[in-house]
Amino acid sequence: MVDSVRQPAAEPRSVPADGEEVRAKPRLWPRKRHNRYTGAPLLMISVNLLLFLLFFIWPAAIGLGYSFTSYTGVGSAPFVGLDNYQRLLNDPAFYSAMLRTVIYTGSIVPLSFVTSLGIAYLLVSPYTRGKPVARVVFFFPWLISPIIAGVIWRWLFGENFGLVNYIITELGGKAVPWQSNANLSLIVVIIAATWAGTAFNMLLFVAALKNVPISYYEAADLDGANAWQKFRRITLPAIAPTSFIVVLLSTLHTMKEYGLIVALNAGGPGTANNLIVQYIYTTGFKRAQIGYASAASFVLLLILMIIAFVQLMFNRRKGS
Amino acid sequence: MANSATGRMRASRWRWLAAGVVATLALSACGSGSDDSKDVKSITFWYSTSAQDQGYTELAKEFQAKEGISVEIVNVPYDGYQDKLRQAAQANSLPDTASVPSLDTIWINQLQDLSSISNNDANKINKDLITVQDGKTLTIPSDVTAAGLFINKSLFDKAKVSYPTDPSKTWTWDEFLASADKVRTATKAKYDLVYDNSPARIRAWIYTHGGKGFQLGADNKFATPDATTVEALSSFAKMNNDVTMPKSVWTSGADPNALFKSGQVVAYYSGVWQVADFADGITNFDWVAAPTPAQPVHATDINLGGKVVAFNNGDKAAAAKKWVDFIFQKDNYTKLAQTNGYLPIESGLTLTYPFKKQAALDAFALYNKEIELADPISSSGQASGTKLLLAGKSSIQDDPTKAEMAKLINGEQDVQKTVDNIVNGLNQQIG
Amino acid sequence: MAVASRPPALRRTRPGSKTGDLPRKIGASSIMWLLVVVYAVPALWFVMSSFKPAGDLFSYPLTFYPKHPTVAGYTQAWTQFDFASYFLNTLIVATAATLLTIVVSAATGYALAKYSNWWLKAFAVCILATTMLPSETILAPLFLVVRNLGLYNNLAGIVVPAVITATGTFMFRQFFVTVPNDLLEAARIDGSGELSTFVRIMLPLARPIIMTLAIFSFQWRWNDYLWPLIILNDPKQFTLQIGVASIVGAQNVNWSILLGASVLSMVPLVAIYLIFQKYVMNADLNAGLKD
Repeated sequence: MVDSVRQPAAEPRSVPADGEEVRAKPRLWPRKRHNRYTGAPLLMISVNLLLFLLFFIWPAAIGLGYSFTSYTGVGSAPFVGLDNYQRLLNDPAFYSAMLRTVIYTGSIVPLSFVTSLGIAYLLVSPYTRGKPVARVVFFFPWLISPIIAGVIWRWLFGENFGLVNYIITELGGKAVPWQSNANLSLIVVIIAATWAGTAFNMLLFVAALKNVPISYYEAADLDGANAWQKFRRITLPAIAPTSFIVVLLSTLHTMKEYGLIVALNAGGPGTANNLIVQYIYTTGFKRAQIGYASAASFVLLLILMIIAFVQLMFNRRKGS
Repeated sequence: MANSATGRMRASRWRWLAAGVVATLALSACGSGSDDSKDVKSITFWYSTSAQDQGYTELAKEFQAKEGISVEIVNVPYDGYQDKLRQAAQANSLPDTASVPSLDTIWINQLQDLSSISNNDANKINKDLITVQDGKTLTIPSDVTAAGLFINKSLFDKAKVSYPTDPSKTWTWDEFLASADKVRTATKAKYDLVYDNSPARIRAWIYTHGGKGFQLGADNKFATPDATTVEALSSFAKMNNDVTMPKSVWTSGADPNALFKSGQVVAYYSGVWQVADFADGITNFDWVAAPTPAQPVHATDINLGGKVVAFNNGDKAAAAKKWVDFIFQKDNYTKLAQTNGYLPIESGLTLTYPFKKQAALDAFALYNKEIELADPISSSGQASGTKLLLAGKSSIQDDPTKAEMAKLINGEQDVQKTVDNIVNGLNQQIG
Repeated sequence: MAVASRPPALRRTRPGSKTGDLPRKIGASSIMWLLVVVYAVPALWFVMSSFKPAGDLFSYPLTFYPKHPTVAGYTQAWTQFDFASYFLNTLIVATAATLLTIVVSAATGYALAKYSNWWLKAFAVCILATTMLPSETILAPLFLVVRNLGLYNNLAGIVVPAVITATGTFMFRQFFVTVPNDLLEAARIDGSGELSTFVRIMLPLARPIIMTLAIFSFQWRWNDYLWPLIILNDPKQFTLQIGVASIVGAQNVNWSILLGASVLSMVPLVAIYLIFQKYVMNADLNAGLKD
C-alpha cells in the first residue's frame, strides 16, 4: 500500500554482522539469512494465512464452483457453465442495482471525506473549546449497530410520524415523501451513512493531522499565508497517504453496504434502492438461486478489485 | 535461540496467544454440550413472535410437571427464521419440535407422523387444515387466522356515522369507503384506511371483489389471474393516494399497526392476531372489529398460524411427539388458545379469553362468525403452498407481490405488467 | 508519513491566548458545536423515545421530551428476554475475537512492514482481497465450511472466522512502516531474535494502534447480526443483536420494548468506548519515533 521512508539497511545482508547467532550446523549453501528472514515472518503470518485459507479461499472456491451451476441450496448442483454469468450480464435488475450502488458510493465518499476531515480538523484545532464532549458525540453514531442506525433515521424521516416531516408541517410546508420517493430515500440513506461512518475516518484524519510538523505552518505564517492557503498547500499534501486510505476504505465499504440501507428502507420503495449486496443476498438466499448469486458475487469481487487497483495506481503515480 | 530473557518474553507472548486459544476452545466446549444420550431430559421447541411466549411457556411447565421432560422454548427472530431452519437441516441440528411459518422441502422428510394426534377424535382437529402426505400427517397448525377490518370507534362515534356489526349484514367496500370518508372529513383524521403490506392480506381484497387471485394450475405453476383480479389490484393501487390510504405503507413498509394506534386513521385492515395486541396496546381511543366488506363476495384470507412439527431426532423423537401430543390435548389446547389469543383449530371448545376489554371478546366472536360465512376460496391462498410442497417443488421464499405492487403504486409500471411480473417471479422459484 | 522536525507532542500545547484569537475561537467553536448538535440530535431523540410509553410514540403532536416518562420498555425488555445471558455471550465473543485479532493482525502487519519477501507482498494483496467478498455473498459456502469444521452452534464459530481483518492488519502495517529500521537493526545487533524483538520492543510501541483496533474489533463483533443468527441454535448462546431482532414480531412490532432493548444493547459498548477513548483519541497513530 502506502510506502513511506524505508532505509535500505533493512535489506537482508549476505554477511552476518557481529553478534548474530551462529547456527550450530554449517550448511551446504548460505541459507543462514533466509532462515532468519523467512522463518520469522512466516511464523508471524501463519495464523492469518491459515484463517485466510480456511475462511476465505475455501468458501470462495466453493462459491466459484456454485457459480457455474444452478444450485438451489437443495439437492444436486447441475453444471451450467457460463450460463449464470451470461444471464447476469443481461439482467436489468443487476445493472440497476449496480448503478444505484455506484451512485450511492459516488455520493458518500466525497461527502464523508469532507465531513470527517472537517471534523477532524476542528478537533485538532487549538481554537475550539469543549473537545472532550464533542469527541464522544462524534464517535457515538459509529458505535451503534447499523441496524439501529437505520431504524433511527427511518423514524426521523418517517413520512407519517417522522420528526422532520412534523417540523416541516408545523412550519406550514407539505409532508415530504421521504420513503415513497426513491431518490429522496437514497438521500436519507446517504445522510445516515455519513453520520454513522464519520468517526472511523475522523480517527485516521486526526492522527494524520497531528503529525504534520508545526515548522511547516510556522514557515507559512512567516510567508503571510492565510488559513485556507495553509490548508491547501501544507495540510492536504501532508495527509495525502491517509487521504488515500480513507478514500479506498470508504469506497470499498460503501460498495458493500447492506445492513444500514435494509434497516432504513428495506431497499425500497419497492426495489428501487436495492444495492448490489442486497440483490445478491435476496437472489441467493431468499430466492434460492445460489448459483446465480455466486456468479454475481464474483462479478462484484472483480469490480471491487478493479476499483482498488485503479486507486492504487492513481496513488502511486501521484506519489512519485 | 533461547537465552533466558527472550525465553521469558516469548513465554509472555505465548501466554497471550494461549489465552486466546483457550478462550476459543472453551467456547467450543460451551457449544456442543447439548447432546446427552442418556435418558431424555429436555427437548427444544422453536417458534417466532414473542407475543405467543406466555401460552407455550405455561404449557411447558405443566408438561415438565407431568412427564419430567423440560421443554426449552426458543424464540427465533422472524426475519431469517425460515433460513435458519434450512441451515439447521444442513447442519443436522434441527430442533426437536417447532412452530414454523411454512414447511420446506429440504427437511420435510425428517418430520414425524402426527396422525395419531390429528386422527384422535377427542381432539376434534379440523382435518381440512392439516398437511397430509401419503397418509402421514406432517403438521398441525397451532391456530387459524383470518384477515379482517378494525375501525376506530371513537372517530366513528364522533362523526356520528354508523357501521354494521353483524357479518351476515355486512357492507360493501364502496359503502365502507364512503363512511370512512365522512368520518375522516368530520374528525379531521389523516387517512381512511391503512392496509397491511402483505401478499396474504391483499388476497382478501381480491377475493371479496370476486377475483380468484393467483391460483396454481394443474401443472403446478401459477397461472395468469383473471380480469377481475387485475381490476381489483388496479383499484387498490388507486386508493393509495395519500388521502384514502397512505402510500408509505405499500411502497416503503411503513408500519400500519403503528399508524392505526396513533388514532389518526379511521380503519385498519389486518387480522385476528392484532386483537391480543390491541386489547392492551390501544388506550387512547375505542376500537372494534367490524365485518369485512364484501363486493360482492363475502370472503377473507384464511391462513394458518404456526405449523407445529416434530422432527425425527433420534432418541429425542419420542419425547418430541409426547410434547406435541400434549399441546393438542383438549384441555391443554384450550389453555393455549386462550392465553395466546388463538382462533382454535379444534372444534367444540369453550374458550374464555383473558381479555378484559369487551371489544376484544366481541372481536373473537365476530371472527368465528366470519370464518363460518367466508367463501371457500378464502383458504386457497395458503393451500397453494401446501400443494407445491406435496408435489415436491421448492417453496416460495420471496413473494414478489410486495415489490411489484410497490412499483405499481409508485406509477412505475402498469397493472398488467405488475401481474405478469408477479406470476413470473412466483414460477421462477418453483423450479 | 513525513518525519517531523519537531516532536508532534508540542503541537498539543495551546499557543498563548492572544486577544486576536478570540473571534477565531468563537468561529471555530461555534461551527464545531453546530455539528455536535446535528450529530447528537438523532441519537438523543432515539434515547428520549425509549422513555416514552408505547401509546405516546405515535400520537400527535410529536414531542422531543417524553410527556410521561417511563422505564417500562426497559424493564419489559430485561425480563422478557434473557438479556443478561445475551450480554455475557456477546461479551465473550467480542473479547475473545478482539484478543485474537490484535495478536494476529499485529504479527501480520509487522511482517508485512519489516520483511521484504515476495510472498509477503502477495499475501498483502490476498488480505486486501478478503474485504472484497462481503460476507452476505458467501454465506452459503461459508456456512458449509464452518459446519465442516464442527463450529456450528458454537460461539467459536463466530469468533474464529472474524479474526482475520484487512483493516486491522493494514493499520499495524502502516504503523510499523513508520518505525525506523534502526530500531530493528539495533535489536538484532543485541542478539535478540526476530520474534522476541517483535514482542518486546515493537508491540509496546504500537499501543495506540492496539487500543484503536480493540475498539474497532469490539464494535464489529458487538454488532454482528447475520452471521450469529445463522450459526447459533441454542438460545443460551444467542448474542444481543439476535435478542433485539427477536422483538420484531412477524405481524407487529412492540416499539417500546424494541427501543428499550436497543438502548440497553448499546450501553456496554458506549461504556467501553468511554473508558478507552483517551487512548484512542489522543493516540499518535504514527508515533514510531523514539529519540
